[in-house]
Amino acid sequence: MTEAPAQPRRLGDLLSQDFLTRLDALDVMSRRILQGKLQGERRSKQRGRSVEFADHRPYAVGDDLRLIDWNTFARLDQLFLKLFLEEQDLTVHILLDCSLSLSSGQGGKDAFARKLAAALGYVALVNNNRLTLSAFADGLAAQAENLRGRPSTRRLAEFLFSLPQGQASDFDKACRQFQAARSGSGVVIVISDFLFKNGYEDALTRLLSPAYDLYAIQVLSPQEIQPELTGDLRLVDVEDGEIAEITVTAPLMTHYRRMLAAYCDQLDRFCARRGAAYVRASSADSVETLVLTTLRKRGLLK
Amino acid sequence: MNFLAPWTALIAAAVSVPLLVLLYFLKLRRREVAISSTLLWRRAVQDLQVNAPFQRLRRNLLLLLQLLALAAMLAALGQPVVRLSMGPGKRYVLLIDRSASMSATDVSPTRLDQAKRQASRIAASLRASTLGLGEGGDQAMVVAFDEQARVMCNFTSDRRQVQAAIDAIQPTDGRSRLGEALTVARAFAGSQAAGENSESAASAAVQIELFSDGRIADAEELDLPGGAITFHRIGLGGDNLAVVALQARRSFEKSDQVEIFAMVANFGPEARTTDLQLSLDGAIRSVRRLEVPAFRTPQGRSGGGPGLASLTFALSQPSQAVVEVRQTRPDLLAADDAAWAVLPGPRRLAVLLVTAGQPPLRSALRACPFQKLDVLTPAQFDALDPDDLAAQGLYDVIVLDNCTPERPPRGRFLVFGRPPAASGVAFDQELRDQVVVDWRSRHPVLQHVNLDNLYAQRAWRLKLPAEASVLAEFASAPALALVRHGGSVFLLAPFDSLQTNWPFEPSFVLFCYNATAWLGLESGPQAETALRVGQPISLDQLPPGQEVVIADPDGHDHRLRASSAGTLHFSATGRAGLYTVQIEQRPPRRVAVNLLDPYESRIAPSDSLRLLGREIGDSGQPQPTNLELWPLLAFLGLLLACLEWVVYNRRAHL
Repeated sequence: MTEAPAQPRRLGDLLSQDFLTRLDALDVMSRRILQGKLQGERRSKQRGRSVEFADHRPYAVGDDLRLIDWNTFARLDQLFLKLFLEEQDLTVHILLDCSLSLSSGQGGKDAFARKLAAALGYVALVNNNRLTLSAFADGLAAQAENLRGRPSTRRLAEFLFSLPQGQASDFDKACRQFQAARSGSGVVIVISDFLFKNGYEDALTRLLSPAYDLYAIQVLSPQEIQPELTGDLRLVDVEDGEIAEITVTAPLMTHYRRMLAAYCDQLDRFCARRGAAYVRASSADSVETLVLTTLRKRGLLK
Repeated sequence: MNFLAPWTALIAAAVSVPLLVLLYFLKLRRREVAISSTLLWRRAVQDLQVNAPFQRLRRNLLLLLQLLALAAMLAALGQPVVRLSMGPGKRYVLLIDRSASMSATDVSPTRLDQAKRQASRIAASLRASTLGLGEGGDQAMVVAFDEQARVMCNFTSDRRQVQAAIDAIQPTDGRSRLGEALTVARAFAGSQAAGENSESAASAAVQIELFSDGRIADAEELDLPGGAITFHRIGLGGDNLAVVALQARRSFEKSDQVEIFAMVANFGPEARTTDLQLSLDGAIRSVRRLEVPAFRTPQGRSGGGPGLASLTFALSQPSQAVVEVRQTRPDLLAADDAAWAVLPGPRRLAVLLVTAGQPPLRSALRACPFQKLDVLTPAQFDALDPDDLAAQGLYDVIVLDNCTPERPPRGRFLVFGRPPAASGVAFDQELRDQVVVDWRSRHPVLQHVNLDNLYAQRAWRLKLPAEASVLAEFASAPALALVRHGGSVFLLAPFDSLQTNWPFEPSFVLFCYNATAWLGLESGPQAETALRVGQPISLDQLPPGQEVVIADPDGHDHRLRASSAGTLHFSATGRAGLYTVQIEQRPPRRVAVNLLDPYESRIAPSDSLRLLGREIGDSGQPQPTNLELWPLLAFLGLLLACLEWVVYNRRAHL
């Protein structure tokens, strides 16, 4: 758990009231109907205690006597159990990258990612979904587990305002730890720039599971998408301090842009092939547009 | 190929090549930029490097290109030349005519400038010796000549020195005479060859390059044994009108009446009309139109020559004046368009005869139109204070008849009999029965004087100083001599006139008249008021050490001092015009220096030069002996630098 800040800040500091109001109307969607632990507001394939009748089945020893359909027993003199479709809650996991590449890089990627996490977390909470927030850098750095209901927005805000800073990223390690702790089913949303030197393929594969919907949201800064560099430069990686000496020339810039497009395209295809969804966002765009338009189109929100 | 400035290139190379290599090994100082990930940059750069052909060689290629560009520049700095002429080093004598005709403007701006330009071409292509090793380089000597030769620089292989010498040549209005220049050149060539070993002296044949219009007065008298001469003809046209004669004289009877005679010559192929303008002391007095016929080319026996036309102006001028006659039609040569003459004021002489009593001489002098003629005995003359006599300037001429005063005053003397000691002339023995065998009939003193029948029973044998001039000669001794000594002029007749038959001859009276007139007017302060260009202005009877300022026509002042003998010679009369001689406490004296030379005024360049019958044709403009390569190399260096820039811009490295 994260340390509680001295003066807890509200979610309103991150997201405008107008935006929050509009988020109230949304809900997190899963493309699969997933099994929840409680009778939530979601239909589940599992039959359970609910008001919506599903079927009858013959009584077997040990069944809950409360579920015996006494009317049928009176008419047919056989014991049948009433079966209901159980309404279950949805577990929403948000994996937020808080490594140096996001927090120290140019272009406000960090703020963008937090806002996005706040908006998605809010949507999950107001719809009574179970929300687990995980910040990762060099492994899982912080986690806020099992938030539920509107009152937890405060914890959500506290968590987002007290993210750990200044670590290198090890996505694979973080996913391994996350995978070990995770149980049940739900939606996993990964918010990161996906610029991992060790690759993202193994890590994302770990997150894939029949029980989970995976959303990969890649946040890039305008400086990464359209760099404005000139001259002879010594580029220093903020995470590992690696140095790349370049001389900016027109062919080099063209090639860089081609490389970036290829990289994103590859990530997109990787996700698509494995039933995951990929969304690319620029930190220069507004979070509102992304949430209210793009993510709804992609089916994450409804 | 050879390098004219190899050391410059070597020194520059020694500095710049290590510097370039050092700079190349120094790492570029790059600006540091923090970015979120170098992942994509690395991939992009790696991809580019893999895709680029010869990418391994790229770094070296840049260095190679830079070195090549530098090498081209350095080679250009060394001034490489391709020798078009091979063989051992040559020695050139550049003879540049700077006479009056070379000031003609038929080639722009003048012939002399053209000659200097052509000579510069030879100077620029002198081959330098290779680092002082191997074959020797070329050497050149520059001589400018008009009537005299002037060595502008001795044999040198320093092209800058040669060029500076060529640039320093100034035009004069003199005539061209090549003889002295050739003698000087030969003397220098000989003296230098003698200083070297015989082998190199033999190999270093002297090549004479003559830049002239070919109007050389003494060409026919010259010989060039064994020397090669190349004649570069300068000049195109020959259209020129010149004043070739000017004489200003007072009438014998009416001394305020002046007659001025001028002659104009036309050297052009067509008859010309010109206005002849006469000025006295700068004020125009008369302008007369003159038709001058065309130049006649020699045909068969009839000799050709310039078309001549003359005019006589008659006017009244009671005082001294400077006469200027100018033809006003513009032509190619300006130096001969005007001539000057100094017209003396009307003057009659005061003469003192010192004699023990000699009627013939006295009678002869009485016949002359003097202002006054005083007669003193030797005793009376000795009684006078010579300094007073000189200071008062009472007499223009003193005639000493058998009288040898101890301390004669400074002045002008006609001496019969033994010369006075003050003349500096010694005499040893008495000669007997002498007849005159030769005399200078052109000298003003002997004008119209016939000495054919002069017989002297007794005469003194004179031992003249070197600078004395002999006017008439007995068989073995001077009969008449002119001596300048101690500021005085002595015309010596070393015999007693009564011991000759001269008093019975008409020439005696004429001689007395000429001698007193010449001594009084021409040898005195008014002497030599009309000179030719190049003739020295000679002054005498000056206090030793006296400062004299002579202003030339260009307005430059020349300060000189009289010699201990009271004489002074100013020889820098290279320009035609009026020279003003200023001596303290004396009125300024003006001397006219004129070209008045039909040969020099005939400016049409001659196609060939005849030297003692040998004809030397015009060899045109000098051919460069070296082909300069530096512009080519500099261009190559620029090209390589551009190529290097292109390669640098296309490169990308990590």
